[in-house]
Amino acid sequence: MKKVVLLCCCLLFSLAGIAQTATVTGTVISDADKSPLIGAIIAVKGSTVTAVTNNNGQFTITIPAQKATLVIRSIGFVTKEIAVVANQKLNIVLSDDVSQLNDVIVVGYSSKKQSELTSAVAVVSSEKLKDVTANNIGTMLQGKVAGLQVVNSSGAPGSAPEIRLRGVSSVNASQSPLVVVDGVIGGNYDPNDVESITVLKDAGATALYGSQANAGVLIVTTKSARSGDTRFEFKATSGFRTADFGKLDVMNSAELYDYQKEFYRDYIVGATDNSYKIDLIKFYGERPLSLLDQDYDWSKESFKAAPVNNFYLSASGKTEKNSYYAGVSYYNEKGTFMNTGFQRVNLRANSTYTFSKKLSVTNNINLSASTGKSYDYMDVYYSFLNMPWDNPYDASGAAVYVDGNSTFKWWSRDKINPIHTVQNSDHPYKGFDLNYDFALNYNITNWLTFTSTNRLSAGFNKGTNYFSPLVAGNYHATGYIDELNTLNYGGISNNLLKFNFQLGDHSISGLAGVAFEGGQTEYSGASGKGLPEGLRVLNVVSNNQLVNGLTDKRYLQSALSQVNYNYKSRYFLSGSFRVDGSSAFPKENRNAVFPSVSGAWLASNEDFMKDNNIVDNLKLRLSYGITGTQDIGSSRYLGLYSLTTQYNSVTGAVPYQLASPNLTWESKHQINAGIDIGLFKRVSLTIDAYRNNTKDLLLQVSQPLSVGFETKWENAGNVINKGIELGINSTNIKTKDFEWNTDFTINFNSNKLYGLTADIVKTGSWSISQIYRNGGDLYEFYMPKWLGVDAQTGAPMWEKLIYNEAGVAVAKEKTFNYSEATIQESGSALPKYQGGFNNSFTYKSFNLRVSTYFNYGNKVFSNNLRFMMNDGHEPYYNQIKLPDDAKVWSGPGDTGATEPSPQNSANSTETSTRYLKDGSYFTIRNIAFSYGLPQSIVQKLNFKAITVGITADNVATFSNFLGQDPQTTITGGSFATPGVSDFKYPNNRQYLFTVNFSF
Amino acid sequence: MKKYFSAILVCLLIGGNSCKNLDVMPSDAISTETLITTSDGLTNALNGAYALFKDHISFNGVVDNNNMYLRQFYHLSDFASDDIVCGQVTTDPLFYSFSLDHSPSQGNTRYFWYLSYKIITGVNTVIDAVEKSGTQDPVKQQLLGECYFLRAFCHFNLVRLFGKPYSIDPASPGIILRTNLTDPSQKKRSTVAEVYASVIADAEKAAGLMTQPRGVQYASKEAAWALLSRVNLYKEDNQKAIDYANMVINSGRFSLTTSATYPALFANAQTSPETIFCIAFTAVDDYGKFGSIASMIYSDGNSGWGEEYASSSLRNVMSKHPEDVRWSYIVPLKDGSGTVQKKNGIEVYYISKFSFQGGLPNLSSPIMFRLSEMYLNKAEAEAKMSNNSAALDDVDMIRKNRGLTGSLYNRTLPSGYTALDVVLEEKRIEMAFEGHRTYDVYRNKRSLNKAYWGYHLAGLKETDIDLSKTPTGYANLSVSYTSPRIIYFLPIDETLSNPQATQNQ
Repeated sequence: MKKVVLLCCCLLFSLAGIAQTATVTGTVISDADKSPLIGAIIAVKGSTVTAVTNNNGQFTITIPAQKATLVIRSIGFVTKEIAVVANQKLNIVLSDDVSQLNDVIVVGYSSKKQSELTSAVAVVSSEKLKDVTANNIGTMLQGKVAGLQVVNSSGAPGSAPEIRLRGVSSVNASQSPLVVVDGVIGGNYDPNDVESITVLKDAGATALYGSQANAGVLIVTTKSARSGDTRFEFKATSGFRTADFGKLDVMNSAELYDYQKEFYRDYIVGATDNSYKIDLIKFYGERPLSLLDQDYDWSKESFKAAPVNNFYLSASGKTEKNSYYAGVSYYNEKGTFMNTGFQRVNLRANSTYTFSKKLSVTNNINLSASTGKSYDYMDVYYSFLNMPWDNPYDASGAAVYVDGNSTFKWWSRDKINPIHTVQNSDHPYKGFDLNYDFALNYNITNWLTFTSTNRLSAGFNKGTNYFSPLVAGNYHATGYIDELNTLNYGGISNNLLKFNFQLGDHSISGLAGVAFEGGQTEYSGASGKGLPEGLRVLNVVSNNQLVNGLTDKRYLQSALSQVNYNYKSRYFLSGSFRVDGSSAFPKENRNAVFPSVSGAWLASNEDFMKDNNIVDNLKLRLSYGITGTQDIGSSRYLGLYSLTTQYNSVTGAVPYQLASPNLTWESKHQINAGIDIGLFKRVSLTIDAYRNNTKDLLLQVSQPLSVGFETKWENAGNVINKGIELGINSTNIKTKDFEWNTDFTINFNSNKLYGLTADIVKTGSWSISQIYRNGGDLYEFYMPKWLGVDAQTGAPMWEKLIYNEAGVAVAKEKTFNYSEATIQESGSALPKYQGGFNNSFTYKSFNLRVSTYFNYGNKVFSNNLRFMMNDGHEPYYNQIKLPDDAKVWSGPGDTGATEPSPQNSANSTETSTRYLKDGSYFTIRNIAFSYGLPQSIVQKLNFKAITVGITADNVATFSNFLGQDPQTTITGGSFATPGVSDFKYPNNRQYLFTVNFSF
Repeated sequence: MKKYFSAILVCLLIGGNSCKNLDVMPSDAISTETLITTSDGLTNALNGAYALFKDHISFNGVVDNNNMYLRQFYHLSDFASDDIVCGQVTTDPLFYSFSLDHSPSQGNTRYFWYLSYKIITGVNTVIDAVEKSGTQDPVKQQLLGECYFLRAFCHFNLVRLFGKPYSIDPASPGIILRTNLTDPSQKKRSTVAEVYASVIADAEKAAGLMTQPRGVQYASKEAAWALLSRVNLYKEDNQKAIDYANMVINSGRFSLTTSATYPALFANAQTSPETIFCIAFTAVDDYGKFGSIASMIYSDGNSGWGEEYASSSLRNVMSKHPEDVRWSYIVPLKDGSGTVQKKNGIEVYYISKFSFQGGLPNLSSPIMFRLSEMYLNKAEAEAKMSNNSAALDDVDMIRKNRGLTGSLYNRTLPSGYTALDVVLEEKRIEMAFEGHRTYDVYRNKRSLNKAYWGYHLAGLKETDIDLSKTPTGYANLSVSYTSPRIIYFLPIDETLSNPQATQNQ
């Protein structure tokens, strides 16, 4: 504001100084949202005369002659030159500066101009996010940032994707990037309230976050007022979702009927009188033709199209003292699976009050509440596996009750009707979450500022599982209910002194201060059986009452500092230093230091490149730094007995954890070299190469089980991630009415383990193992190799390696004996490269965006096939339609057979590479089409802008993967192994209609 | 203003930096040092050792309900026997006990091994603390004795599953003995003979320490004697097997259930006069379908998977005496017309020995030692010492109480039978499904005949089953005591991180 006044004074002076001149008036507006630009500077070329736009974007300028050329500048916009004549009235539209060199970017504890950056940082504006409608930012980011891997591993309502930056660099610590909202670590927000997201990729930027930044940092900045006027925005999105089963195409009644004939082939292994013909008489005896009359499509009927709605209303405005933004949004998603859904309401209010030119205070509050209905894995499982020969409904349309005593024929393997179960059970959850941010900014002198940013947060979540006594199965006649309540609360305080000097061509800025984080989680829950029919609270359970509860605390205190230096805006140097003290380690190892240094040369600012027409931006960057990990949970260094059990109703203490008194930080040493190139003012290219060496991995080192403990927390082993990432933004065509922009990102990453004391084999659900060994990859599958089917006998074959005395494999042979097969490394669940290719076409007010995502070179174990391509081991599970190139063995000499004979298939469904598939895929992630209504209509309706759009998500996926969906979890956990595709809640295709009003 | 503000600034800086105490203790666990110094800590630790027989605890990052010491204790032995037939191919590793496709990475042996040593580690901590304290308090001595008992019991159960029978090769590798807190974590397997010696020493020490019986839910002097009878029988130290059995029988604490009370024995294990030692399950330990022992072998229609049944082989042996009250634990699933239903072609004869505590289909307190076994141990040892009359008397003692008063042997061997045959057949019926059969067959150097329809036959399909015939041509129709598959592989976790532990063949 002060600047404006000052400039106005200048203007007055210049007006007074020049007589006999003409004036030009006009309005400057932004191309993007047609809003007036305040404080844009208008200068007369070749003179000192300038003017500044007022709060309505209007200006008046005096020109020295009848003709002149005006130069119009505004930060973040492309500077424009216009020839004018006296008394002309202008309507000037400034377009966003594509090069974004002047954009102010929030990086960690401070902001920098893009041109000043010395590290690998990517920014995604809300503009580029909003084509995808989701309840989380991760889904929106997929394919838009080089090096960012986003996996939508579940389509359950409210589920968030898994995000990895530059691969996986740790074994036991969390691999999700740290999220920082409005300058404070952690925090809750609604995607509609997001202004921009900054991704900090190398240690030059992340080391300032020290021990929490091992997996990179996502900085979320929520919206604030842009202009003086009070502005409203209303967005309504409505549409529906359908389940995407991928290639899990189950058989219908007739197909299954036909397939089961294979079970009746006259073939007894070893017998001499086999005819290898199908014994149709026996078949029709056991599989009556009447079965063909019953054809129920379980998966299709269990997963139905479901509506999605999202409404968002915001208001923002700015006065001299006060700036505010308020947004409210409501998101409602019904699940495609029976009785599932998610809804969330979010309220955000951001305000900054400027008391004086020295002091400003920001208060932000975010309230959110969500509720939803989850599902039981077994219900999804049976919805895929039950047979089309069973009808879940009776004549009156009610779901049939089936149990082990049912006297009617129920073909499916387990006597369970999942529809009946879903109707008599419920898995609701609720939660609310409060964040209050208080920030204070005090300019002590013109070069020194004190800032304090603080957050108090509290959240409460409750999950319930309920089974009515009417349900079949485990809880029949008793019913069951369990509830778990989780209360989180905590606070964060960052107190920093920031300085900024300019000494001739040298400028120095930086910060120093302290930070504290503390948090506590309290769990309490209970369960019981013996529910009266119709009631569903804990108060009415009559037996098997169990209670549980615990608390978990964590504290982190830190000191941090950073210095940035640049010379003539050409040479940049930045260094940072952070000390963290964490409650996760023993006293002696509690503190750790995380330094970084980074530099850049902005060559395009050198004199010799200043007028280069080809290269408008050229910057070379180099950074080195250390980040760490302490996020392994509390008290991992103590020798512990757990007191959570009982024997004969008396407390029991169970050996729980081995002491590890020397446990210390895992540290990731990161080197990054990058180059930013801008060409023809149209194309910007960023290439980064990195080598991240994670040392002293916080590892659960396997112990001989005979010591009574599986593992001991130790610092053991290292993992190196190496990679190259490339990002291109290009404006391919730009004419008055038409524009075509392309974004392309790709990231090649490889990782290697070394320094482990012994191999570690982790075996997850379904006996699927992965091995960690020196020289190997993370998430490396470890299983016998499948060699197909013996043409003579139809028996499955596996590979057996022959080792010499030195333990080196010298030969291989086929074996028909599964237990003889050699267990071997079989590929990793992590991709070799992945990225996105996005195009945007704008013609007048029409815009079309197509976003795609690709992922190559990972293995996915398609565990569903163990059930659904099971060679008759489990004849009462439905099967998938065999792929075109698959053939069941039919007799001796059947060299084309790929699937074993059902009569000779012992162990064929045991874990082997038979079901380990190539997980590469290319997906058309999103197509968004929008149309901005003409201003003439819009203004008649008293709006500033109206945009309508339609979008389609997950349009098509191209993959050789056989199974549900190649997008598979890469997070290990209970009942989840990275890269193992289990019956999951299918991902969704989504079709939406959006209307957006500004007024 | 400025002054005021500077004051705030200083406060904030100091406030932020004031060293918060960063010592955080877990809310539901205590450190080992604290445990051994608190008054109830050692009792809790011993209780914890008992609890591990029944709890599902995290293994490989997962609390898998299929993982329970006792569930595996039973299926690793009995599912490999000829008493239980497999009616359903399954991904549960229990299937490998039928198919004999053992592997070092099968989840159930790994968990069983792990839990065994966790129990041993827990009791070793207590033993170390009590012995260091030098207390002679009889209550503490009782606890100490229980610890020695549990260590012996766990080591013995391990060596039965992972080491060859003593009678076949006592010098072959047994298991890793953990008898103190100071041995290095990497350690060799002791020989089977060394393990037996350690087990016997621990059990004898335990018997001497325990003078304060706490109920059959806990170890006692008599439980230690019962263990010693069993161990010495396996070791073929027959006189000792007889002596210890007699000590239990003559202790006066126990009596055999009768044909009237036997059918309720297992549902009421904790109060039955026959129980020497059982693992107490209370109502909250009713794990339901997912994770109980019973749910594998019994279902009331909803309560269990019910996929493994009493085999036709066992039923044929028992068919001589329909009046035998031991039929009460074999429950055919019949349809409306009284026909026994089939699952995948196999007749469904549920097993109810692990059901009906408190009337609940999945709840029981599994009996580790009961008086019948003492008579049968005695009988077997006597038979081996060629004292056939004594052996048959002891067998008749059982039969008298099982509704077979009309069919006693009366010191006369039936034709074609040796005394050992009689004893083993009686034990097979009496102790069926209680984790004895495979050991009894193999340690007596006999083969297991599994020539009956069931999914232990490699590659069997329902369409191949013809119950009127005996299956031929399949693998696994007979398992010789010389087969390496009568025991399991050491878990892969052990051999990878403890290279001194050699793998079984």
